Amino acid sequence: MIVCVAVVGHNNNPLYLQSFIDDDNTLKFHYIVHCSLDVIEEKVSNSKRAGVNLNETFLGLLYPTEDYKVYGYMSNTKIKFVLVTTDQDSRDADVRNFFRRLHAAYVDAASNPFHVPGKKITSAVFAERVGNIVKSFGAPAPA
Amino acid sequence: MPGGAREVAESCVDSLNMELVATYCKRLHPTKPDLAGRRIEAIGYQVGLQLAERYTRERPRFTDHLESIKFICKDFWAEVFKKQVDNLKTNHKGVFVLQDNRFRWLTRISVDALPTTGAQNESAVAANAARASQAAGQYLYFPCGLIRGALTNLGVPCAVSAEVTTLPACEFNILVLKRVE
Repeated sequence: MIVCVAVVGHNNNPLYLQSFIDDDNTLKFHYIVHCSLDVIEEKVSNSKRAGVNLNETFLGLLYPTEDYKVYGYMSNTKIKFVLVTTDQDSRDADVRNFFRRLHAAYVDAASNPFHVPGKKITSAVFAERVGNIVKSFGAPAPA
Repeated sequence: MPGGAREVAESCVDSLNMELVATYCKRLHPTKPDLAGRRIEAIGYQVGLQLAERYTRERPRFTDHLESIKFICKDFWAEVFKKQVDNLKTNHKGVFVLQDNRFRWLTRISVDALPTTGAQNESAVAANAARASQAAGQYLYFPCGLIRGALTNLGVPCAVSAEVTTLPACEFNILVLKRVE
């Protein structure tokens, strides 16, 4: 079950953070996402140094905490998407698909001429799209 | 989602461009061409930011500045202007020159030629060229902003200027700025 989705800008400024459980503890998610930013930086600079030109946008599982798993994705424009989930066995393909759709929704939200680049995303349409993507995450694969 | 993207006639883009330049340069700031140019360039900057976001969606990340500039020359140019840049020159020290021999947004511009008599032919031709590049230069503010916005979003801070050689060919000069830590 997805518990939190976050979008972070290229200066590590938060653009969007939404939690999907009825816990009023969004601060905890802010903290988790903030820690994961360090892991993302390390992964990106590591892949540069190791000579492995892993220029993948999908960064995979960042780190597992006691009851959450955190996945990361960084776009070409240094926008980072972070996904926090409690699933014990999410499939890689599912998570990649999720990030792809999230990126598409973000691009549409950023193309809004009233959106100021660098400020938080306030579009209700974006929030709704993210909600839909989260709802259809982990739908059982067709037999 | 139904398939098929929505389309807009290209004449709308042409008209919008012409009106943009006319409004800023003649109506709003007739006495301050530099200010008008900066305003137009700022609009282009924001659009460039958003377009870069959209066109790099599915691609893996770029390794260095040259890759980003090549992306601009090929894919970005092809999406916006339906062709690729004709020539890319660099001095490997952060200066890039993009040459487009038939810049799409300049193809509809022509400048009234001064009447040329036999004796003054060369100077008249030179004067014509100068007037052409000055008049057309206003239409290049927006593309300069476009390039600057796109490159900045890809992590290449830069300054972009343009000049018209002979209509409809033009050159864009990109100067990559060193980031001050």
